[in-house]
Amino acid sequence: MSKGVLVDMTKCFGCGACTVACKLWNEKKYDEVNKPTLGEQAQLVDINWTVVSKHDVTDKSGHPAWRFAKKQCLHCVDPACASSCLVGALRKTEQGPVIYHPDLCVGCRYCMVACPFNIPKYEWDKSFPKVSKCQMCFTRVAAGEQPACIAVCPNQVMTFGDRDALVQEAHKRIADNKELYVNHVFGETEVGGTAWLYLSDQPFAKLGFKTAVPQESLPAYTWQILSKLPAILLGWTAILSGIYFINKRRNSIAEGKQDSTGGPQA
Amino acid sequence: MDNKNDLPISRRFFLKGLGAAGVTGALATLSGCKDAGKPSGGEGWTPQQYNAPGSWPVQVRGRVPIDPRNPSIVRDDRKCILCGQCTEACERVQSVEGFYGLPIKNDITCVNCGQCALWCPTGAISERDDISKVLQVIGDTNLHVIVQTAPATRIAIGEEFGMPAGSIVEGKMVAALKQLGFDRVFDTNFSADLTIMEEGTELVNRIKAAGTGHAQGGHGHAPTALPQFTSCSPGWVKFCEYFYPDLLDHMSTCKSPQQMLGSVAKTYYAKKKNIDPRQIVSVAIMPCTAKKFEAARTEMNSAGVMAGTPELRDVDFVLTTRELARMIKGKGIDLAKLDPQPYDSLMGEGTGAAVIFAATGGVMEAAIRSGYYLLTGQNPPEALLNLNAVRGLQGVKEAALNVPGVGELRVAVASGLGNARQLLDQIRADKQAGRPPRYHFIEFMACPGGCISGGGQPKTSVPPSDWVRKERLQSIYTIDAKLAKKRLSHENKEVMDLYADFLGKPNGDMAHKLLHTTYTDRSAHLTAKTKA
Repeated sequence: MSKGVLVDMTKCFGCGACTVACKLWNEKKYDEVNKPTLGEQAQLVDINWTVVSKHDVTDKSGHPAWRFAKKQCLHCVDPACASSCLVGALRKTEQGPVIYHPDLCVGCRYCMVACPFNIPKYEWDKSFPKVSKCQMCFTRVAAGEQPACIAVCPNQVMTFGDRDALVQEAHKRIADNKELYVNHVFGETEVGGTAWLYLSDQPFAKLGFKTAVPQESLPAYTWQILSKLPAILLGWTAILSGIYFINKRRNSIAEGKQDSTGGPQA
Repeated sequence: MDNKNDLPISRRFFLKGLGAAGVTGALATLSGCKDAGKPSGGEGWTPQQYNAPGSWPVQVRGRVPIDPRNPSIVRDDRKCILCGQCTEACERVQSVEGFYGLPIKNDITCVNCGQCALWCPTGAISERDDISKVLQVIGDTNLHVIVQTAPATRIAIGEEFGMPAGSIVEGKMVAALKQLGFDRVFDTNFSADLTIMEEGTELVNRIKAAGTGHAQGGHGHAPTALPQFTSCSPGWVKFCEYFYPDLLDHMSTCKSPQQMLGSVAKTYYAKKKNIDPRQIVSVAIMPCTAKKFEAARTEMNSAGVMAGTPELRDVDFVLTTRELARMIKGKGIDLAKLDPQPYDSLMGEGTGAAVIFAATGGVMEAAIRSGYYLLTGQNPPEALLNLNAVRGLQGVKEAALNVPGVGELRVAVASGLGNARQLLDQIRADKQAGRPPRYHFIEFMACPGGCISGGGQPKTSVPPSDWVRKERLQSIYTIDAKLAKKRLSHENKEVMDLYADFLGKPNGDMAHKLLHTTYTDRSAHLTAKTKA
């Protein structure tokens, strides 16, 4: 059963414990001056696999309010990065995480272009750089534990479980509290679905979410062409080979007529 | 070995080698595709409680939220291990985190008490460091830099220099401050005595108003609600503004001793010494992180308003006891070896009643000593000088005493904001039910044990222990009973001179301009809850 996470952004008060848990568990360095993990300037970079960004919004009663959005790889159900990878360095696991294998990576960075959410980052300042992104604590997930960021959250902003059940749970929460939530589960259908699902009381675009993405899976989209490639390749091979043999035969017949005078055979 | 160049390398041999290498490479690559090696991530650790199968919530988890613009405390994420101790202090001791609804509004609810900093085992949370700013003004010869030291600093800072918990180092601390280059060293004890005169007078007025049904003495607009709450602890004040704004008319309008000394320094002292108040820089050494917030409150500019420059702050910089210790250490001074020196005159005298402000119940005890005098015209009997009912570390304490001409005076004391809730909820319920007030006067301190265990005090035990608290309390009462020359605030000569030369009478016009303040209803910044 593929795992997922339901994030209820109305419960987040911006302590940033999740970002620290990520750094502890994955031994990532800190650079709070240039690459902050928390606040208005927070952004996902090579050393920040997850960040909590702060957004000034207006709440339902018209008062200014703060909202915090936990960002990380959304672990697509059908990931474009894995589909684009030439060497299989990015793979969707059965349990849900989309994980990166640095030993296989050739550094082409197709994944960075392919990702609709701009998640994979590159270690630009290293001599032998790797691609870098949230691994959804796959070893913990494999051991039946929650990803580190989820376990440490003081407000239980995130719920870890089977993705299908979480989709149901998300809709139930919206139905139970229609006044609060926006009637949309971000990640349910975006790019064909993501393992991480979000609930919000604010329009998702206001919290820095990329909402202008296709509602179908990107690999499925490209598959429409790619699936025909073998047939096209084989067809062209057959056609061109046929033409070649026809030409060759025609030439040999023509040569045979010329050679009727008795020249040496090859 | 004859001649390597004679070795025959045939074309066949070369191609064989190349082919073998190619096949090996291809196989290696293919085998690599099967076993992709170790994916990145997961080499680190998290505390044990977070490594458990299943998705049950962990009991002790996460940490407190801290606004990066918080004037009192900062956090260094590199040191945070997510042990959950800050949350323990904030929620279980201070009843702040968890006592507001989600989603939040446009504020990270924080009373600036700094107990989280005291509990943090790695020092990830600490006070906002203002040492460099203070060193800069000390180095500027055009500025007259004065400093005041809170009652609780003198029994704690020695611990930073290897001395036993509760060591009394008042004179050594003054000597160190003079060596650091402060132009004048004043005592917050002086303004604690001043606070007693103002707050005691206010209490007497409130009690008299309750008797007659209208305000007497004081100002016509002065609140008359009973019980009166003390207002010395800025963490407590902000807590009341957040969670109990309906009870703010119970809050004494008196500023805290820190702010009283600040506003008097840039008016009275400036006038006496003929110094332009704009050239005075006022520094306060406090056991408290909330004092940094208090000094930055917009309304704390009475002296500036009087001088026609409202941007002038009454207190410019606040350093915690820990910061002062770092500053002294940074200059290579060994506090323990210094010869004691006295505070400077004009605002350097303090009584035993002022020293006990540092202890939970102390403001109450000091107020009773002088309140008795204000109500009866006589000094209190010996028994009232050691009011054991309001001493000690118990969270909520109460006492009743007979004051001639008034009858029974009922008082209560709470330290630690979780304990304060007990009394506040009771008062709120009584008011809603229309019951008469149970108490006349209540002392609230944000930190458990009072200022002696404030958020800016030395981290002599982590998390803070009652053992250290008791040692410090003991020393405070030793100073009051054995070392102080006077034990009654109204006998402080320098305070009496201040009234005679400058302020007029307690709660008079000048006193109201300089020594009293207003409060802000902060309830719109959160959705208050009564239970976590």
